[in-house]
Amino acid sequence: MVSARIAHAARVVVSIAASAVLVASAGCDRAGHPPGTIQVDFEISPLSTDPRIGTDAASSRLNELIFDSLMKIDRNGEFVGDLAERVERPTPTEIIFHLRREVRFSDGRELTARDVKYTYESIENPELRSPKRASLKELKAIEAPDDFTVVMTTANPYAPALEMATEGIVPDGTPPPLKSASAGPPGSGPFMMLSFTRDETAKLERNPLHKFEPNSPAAILIKIVPDATVRALELAEGVCDFSGNNLEADVLPWLRAHPFLKISATPGTTYKYLSFNFRDARLRDVRVRRAIAYAIDRATIVKSMLRDSARVATGLLAPENWAYDGDVTAYPYDPERSRQLLDEAGYPAGADGMRRLQIDFKTTPEGARLAEVFQAMLQRVGIALNVRTVEFATYYGEIQSGNFEMTSLQWIGINDPNQYYMVFNSTQTPPGMNREYYSNPALDRLVEAGMRTIDVDERKKIYAQVQRLAADDLPYVSLWWSDNVAVMNRRLANFEPYPNGSLRSLATLTLQGPGGAEPSR
Amino acid sequence: MIKYLMRRLVSIVPVALGVATLTFAIIHLVPGDPVVAMLGDSAAPADIEGMRHQLGLDRPLLTQYATYLGGLAIGDLGESTSYRKPVAQIVSERFPATIELAAAGMFVALLIAFPLGIVAGSNPGGAADMGAMGFAILGISIPHIYLGPLLMILFSLDLRWLPLTGRGGFAHLVLPAMTLGTALAAIIARMLRHSLIVVRASDYMRTAIGKGLSPRAAIVRHGLKNAMTSVITIIGLQMGSLLSGTLITEMIFSWPGLGRLLIGAIGARDYPLVEGCVLTFAMTYVVVNLATDVVYALVDPRVRIS
Repeated sequence: MVSARIAHAARVVVSIAASAVLVASAGCDRAGHPPGTIQVDFEISPLSTDPRIGTDAASSRLNELIFDSLMKIDRNGEFVGDLAERVERPTPTEIIFHLRREVRFSDGRELTARDVKYTYESIENPELRSPKRASLKELKAIEAPDDFTVVMTTANPYAPALEMATEGIVPDGTPPPLKSASAGPPGSGPFMMLSFTRDETAKLERNPLHKFEPNSPAAILIKIVPDATVRALELAEGVCDFSGNNLEADVLPWLRAHPFLKISATPGTTYKYLSFNFRDARLRDVRVRRAIAYAIDRATIVKSMLRDSARVATGLLAPENWAYDGDVTAYPYDPERSRQLLDEAGYPAGADGMRRLQIDFKTTPEGARLAEVFQAMLQRVGIALNVRTVEFATYYGEIQSGNFEMTSLQWIGINDPNQYYMVFNSTQTPPGMNREYYSNPALDRLVEAGMRTIDVDERKKIYAQVQRLAADDLPYVSLWWSDNVAVMNRRLANFEPYPNGSLRSLATLTLQGPGGAEPSR
Repeated sequence: MIKYLMRRLVSIVPVALGVATLTFAIIHLVPGDPVVAMLGDSAAPADIEGMRHQLGLDRPLLTQYATYLGGLAIGDLGESTSYRKPVAQIVSERFPATIELAAAGMFVALLIAFPLGIVAGSNPGGAADMGAMGFAILGISIPHIYLGPLLMILFSLDLRWLPLTGRGGFAHLVLPAMTLGTALAAIIARMLRHSLIVVRASDYMRTAIGKGLSPRAAIVRHGLKNAMTSVITIIGLQMGSLLSGTLITEMIFSWPGLGRLLIGAIGARDYPLVEGCVLTFAMTYVVVNLATDVVYALVDPRVRIS
């Protein structure tokens, strides 16, 4: 009697569930993309489709597919002309850009120097509330003497001035984002935005006025998928075609086992480091910092935890950078040397092997695993690392306000060695990027000279000294440069990775087999 | 009844005031700076101060609070600092997705809970009861963050029946609703089982069976209806966990609802948007509980609300 009733109840439940699934699956289209469309998963939504506003990585990745800039950074990390076909630097404070002709925005309007001037002036207009305004503080004036010439003038000789020439250009008269359509202004880049729904999707279609290779993607669907596991599942299911630098190292072997997926892992420039609060007397002692550097077994972390998806770093600049100099003091794993340094610094080990050195390590929930590794490694030399985990905005606020002792962060997209000025110069304390309140007059002089010296060979010599001094004095303990790891469907061919993680080559890759779009003119 | 409803509706005002005050205080107390989140840490101090002034963040906290309440009184939730749009507009765009998910989650919960609860409550201590309650314990124990990907692997990756993520048609709703509804189903099933056991021992059930009704018919016609009041109570109370469950579920399934909006707003220290989202969640909870009280009267004529 009982079993009959259970069987009946079970039949009812199963039939209801089966009906639900059948009804659901009847309307279910796997990827549901039109031919020639590729899906790219982002972990976070772009904040703005207006290139004058979006400084976050997702906005940058999206906007560089839609907007051209005067200059761009190529696959070797060098500045090359984008809208500019020729660049002159007649004086240390003046740069002249000669623009390409016949460039049009996707709405058909011709792009001229007026649009460039307008773009820069609107970024500098406080009413736009652009976060990019700060990056143009060295720009004194921008002029358009004719339709195809742009002249930038800086107040002082400013070596990294070309970095200012990488802003996406919008048409003259483009209103602030609030008053413009959600799809953003038209650009002259390879793609144009069809629609943008924040936290959901951005639909991009080829700009019909742009040249394409045969079989290049006709459209790109950028989908926002916050969960790393789900991004991996979407790749494995074949829904997503491309996911770059946003997957856990742990899932890569599983993804590699799927025959229709391929993984591109190339050296990257993202720099991971340990930093110290220099307002803490204990951490101002270089012997303590060096002891910590010797106690961290970076090679093992890279090999086991990161599954070889990074390279042990010597400084901010990766070997691909023109100013890189690897002839600096290295800190291989040496716990004995670490213990000696701590003894010298006045922290002898107690009977239990531990020292009077307890350091708070602030991190985010995502960073907790790595923090525990540091904790275990430092414990071996007698340092007690107290891991304090807080959510990102709180964490960032605390780092900004100097409420930390030790932490680990990363810099993404380092191109110019002037980054050394921004992070180590004693004038750049918060709200600047010298969050550690590091101060070293010798390094100050060098990074200031590097910023004001235009001659590349001279700069290279200056930054060789900077790298040596930074490696000796250790304001940061360099950890590693992360590789650029992209997982993609094998139907995507000719993907060319950029060291800074740029996705520009989504416009130049081609589709193999069915699904490739017809070439445009 | 109408008088009661009016009184309950008026009581929403102090609740809203309390929620608004608490949210305002908490989000302003935690470290983090909305202006730095907007402008980045390379912004010039003058720009940061200018922006702080523009957003009114340089005014005393009490003045900001009074301005916020003043806006609230006329239905103005302020402007989001990260979206640069009115909060009311953003919330109204995202709220339907969350309600859709919550309603579907509740539907799934009821769909699972009723058969389980009835089977278990009808035969306490039997094999069916053990099985149903075992399932219920499992349902309560599995966190959304684990259940979601498990369902994805089964129904999407292996069986290829349902889409993985996003909001679209009915098919997109099934997995997030199952994820959200399973734990709630377990709670409701346990409550229904308990109520049925109590009801089964009551005089009127004995009378009904004594008059010749089969035990099953007695439960369906009389027992279930009487067991419903406590189940409705638990449904109303669980609305809070259902709504908070949408936060995680929306993140896992890339569901563009209010929960994801709130998490993003907290990260960006978008004060007006956080306040708007929390207030919307709180008001939804209050309204659902009011509706629950009204439903009592409809289900059980012995209950008179006045």
